[in-house]
Amino acid sequence: MTLSLAPDSRLRRALGSEHLAGWAFALPAVALIVIFGIVPIVWSAVMSFQANDLVSAPHWVGVANYRALLHDPAFAASVRHTLLYTVIFVPLSVAGAMLVAWALNRKLHGVRFYRLAVFVPVVTSTVATGIIFLWLLDPVFGLVNFFLSKLGIPAQGFLSNPNQALYCIVAMTIWGWLGFDVIIYLAALQGVPHELIEAAEIDGAGKWSSFRSVVLPFLRPATLFLVVWSTISALQLFDEIYVTTRGGPLGSTTVVVFYLYQQAFQFFNGGYAAAIAYVLFLAILVITIIQLKVGGRRIYSNT
Amino acid sequence: MRRVAIGTVGLLALACAAVVLTAGCGSSGSGTAASPSAGSGRVVNITLWHGDTDYAAKADNVLVAQWNKANPDIHVTALYNGSNDYALQKTLTAIAGGKPPDITYLYGSWAANIVKSPKVVILNDMIAKDSSFNWNDFWPAERLAATVNGKIMGVPALVDNLAIVYNKKLFDRAGLSYPTAQWTWDDFRAAAKKLTIPAQKQFGWGYPADASEDTVWHWEAMLWDYNGDILTPDNKQAAFNSAQGDQALTMLGDMATVDHSIYIDTTNTKIQQTFNNGHIGMMVTGPWDLPSFPNVKFGVQVMPANHQTISGPDNWVILNNGAARVNASWTFIKWFTAAKQQMYYDLQTGALPTRQSQQQQPDFQTYLSKYPGTDLFVKNMGNAVKSRPTIPQYSKISTFLGQAIVSVMLGKSDAKTALDQAAQQTNALLAVPGS
Repeated sequence: MTLSLAPDSRLRRALGSEHLAGWAFALPAVALIVIFGIVPIVWSAVMSFQANDLVSAPHWVGVANYRALLHDPAFAASVRHTLLYTVIFVPLSVAGAMLVAWALNRKLHGVRFYRLAVFVPVVTSTVATGIIFLWLLDPVFGLVNFFLSKLGIPAQGFLSNPNQALYCIVAMTIWGWLGFDVIIYLAALQGVPHELIEAAEIDGAGKWSSFRSVVLPFLRPATLFLVVWSTISALQLFDEIYVTTRGGPLGSTTVVVFYLYQQAFQFFNGGYAAAIAYVLFLAILVITIIQLKVGGRRIYSNT
Repeated sequence: MRRVAIGTVGLLALACAAVVLTAGCGSSGSGTAASPSAGSGRVVNITLWHGDTDYAAKADNVLVAQWNKANPDIHVTALYNGSNDYALQKTLTAIAGGKPPDITYLYGSWAANIVKSPKVVILNDMIAKDSSFNWNDFWPAERLAATVNGKIMGVPALVDNLAIVYNKKLFDRAGLSYPTAQWTWDDFRAAAKKLTIPAQKQFGWGYPADASEDTVWHWEAMLWDYNGDILTPDNKQAAFNSAQGDQALTMLGDMATVDHSIYIDTTNTKIQQTFNNGHIGMMVTGPWDLPSFPNVKFGVQVMPANHQTISGPDNWVILNNGAARVNASWTFIKWFTAAKQQMYYDLQTGALPTRQSQQQQPDFQTYLSKYPGTDLFVKNMGNAVKSRPTIPQYSKISTFLGQAIVSVMLGKSDAKTALDQAAQQTNALLAVPGS
């Protein structure tokens, strides 16, 4: 519409301005976002109020999909699994990354190799790591049970045991995602002024107390970012489940997004799946706002 | 429902896919350039979507090229759909976008879902009017799977069935004689037990236990073999929670939890490799798996007792893009799925004959000797007399059954309790009107 040449002086002025040039440069990106971002978001919002099997003509059902969610025990179970996963995954991965980054932030012999080793899982495809873990954790032929047996520990079911599978996924994803967190922390550690640490040491602070009182406050912005980011990723967990347990055994690793996938593409309940997506979206929004409010207050600013 | 083996052939498949795509793009480019001026020529352009790679894609292309040469008035463009696993999603998207393919390959399990689309061409009249087509030449299981509420929604494209595939070396070592057609389920169980050697990590049987349809259809073959049924004949109620169902699931559960003779793969990713490495004595599987066992000297035998098996036929579905293109599609697909062309395809790929009359084709014996083990699977088609219910609710019922089967195999529940619970869920689902 803006491109049609109308004899309107305002429009002509706009055409000549930098404004238009700017939009022209941004247009490809904007078009992509609109087509693949905004349109699906709006469309799925509409779908969540429909009975939509993705094949025949949809019809309106009002809030029936949302009401059905409240009474769906399988959805409730998927929420429980997701929360349990998030509550374990986020603290362990963020704290673990902080420790690893701290250990790597020094002049070690071959430190580049260690940093590379930590980061490699991040760039390895989830499908590949999933298959490797499937074999490592195989109850009969797996390497992990082999080493456990050397220590006299009986063979574990791991991904085949409904009581262990979710924890195996936690371990697998921490291994897979740790490198990203470590990179962020390494960058943050570079920003800690060396003279402050020196001053603390001259004042008699030990390694631990200088870390706690000097380094840690500088890491708060990075920590807040990682907690928010990891929580969002954890609540949207899907790939690792899809390539390993597929929600099993006996539904013990069916997390919210995997349940959504089943509803949409196995049972063709498109409307119901869209409602799940929107509930998840709202939950993530609320949790993120709380995190930013609580965490933001405690951020040390050096400006 | 054939599962495509990813692995050594992967690269080749990708390369072939690229070739198919570029070839498709080239010809469709020139084709569509000419087609808008519909009056100039009288060529009808139709598009066919398939999920074949490798030898299969090559066979498709040879046949399509042959057709295009002989039939200048109907030009067919064969396009690779990326993977049959996503064919339904892509077809639905194309329908929504207003430009569906004229012919598309779809898994049989989707029949009841896709038939709800008004774009799907129902073939009953065309088949009835066309005596040369000979619908009854297709195997009974294929005809049942392509029929939803009496409506024929596709032409059988690929067929398979399940039989016992066993490792001869492990049988010899255990001093067991090979499975025979006279085996009972007790014989099967006893052999599996004898093949199980925990110290060597060796199991009698491998069973996919991810609670997916793969878990379920293996058991459904057992259920039918025990003379049980999935649903009542009117598809209104569960029938699997019968004495026969109880027996079939108890047998499976006892083998898993009492004999420990089953390698239970709850992720359904490792059985083929484990069998190929000589750690599993018997598998129940179909012809598509045979190329994954290069390290094993295997034999094939029909299922125990009544020899009932299950078949997963897939279909070519015609979509309505106007009368001219529907007619052209029908003319082409009739030729494409005729015994002669199908025999050529099977000879190149090792797929089972979709038509019974293919057994009289001159190449049939060459085909049997080229693919060892296939002769039994061809004979076994006659044992596939039942079909899974072609109702839209089946995929949901399958998940109820999947949970029931796995919970029994993991010793979390007994057969009767698990089946009764699944039946309760099934009956509640089927009681919902509509759909």
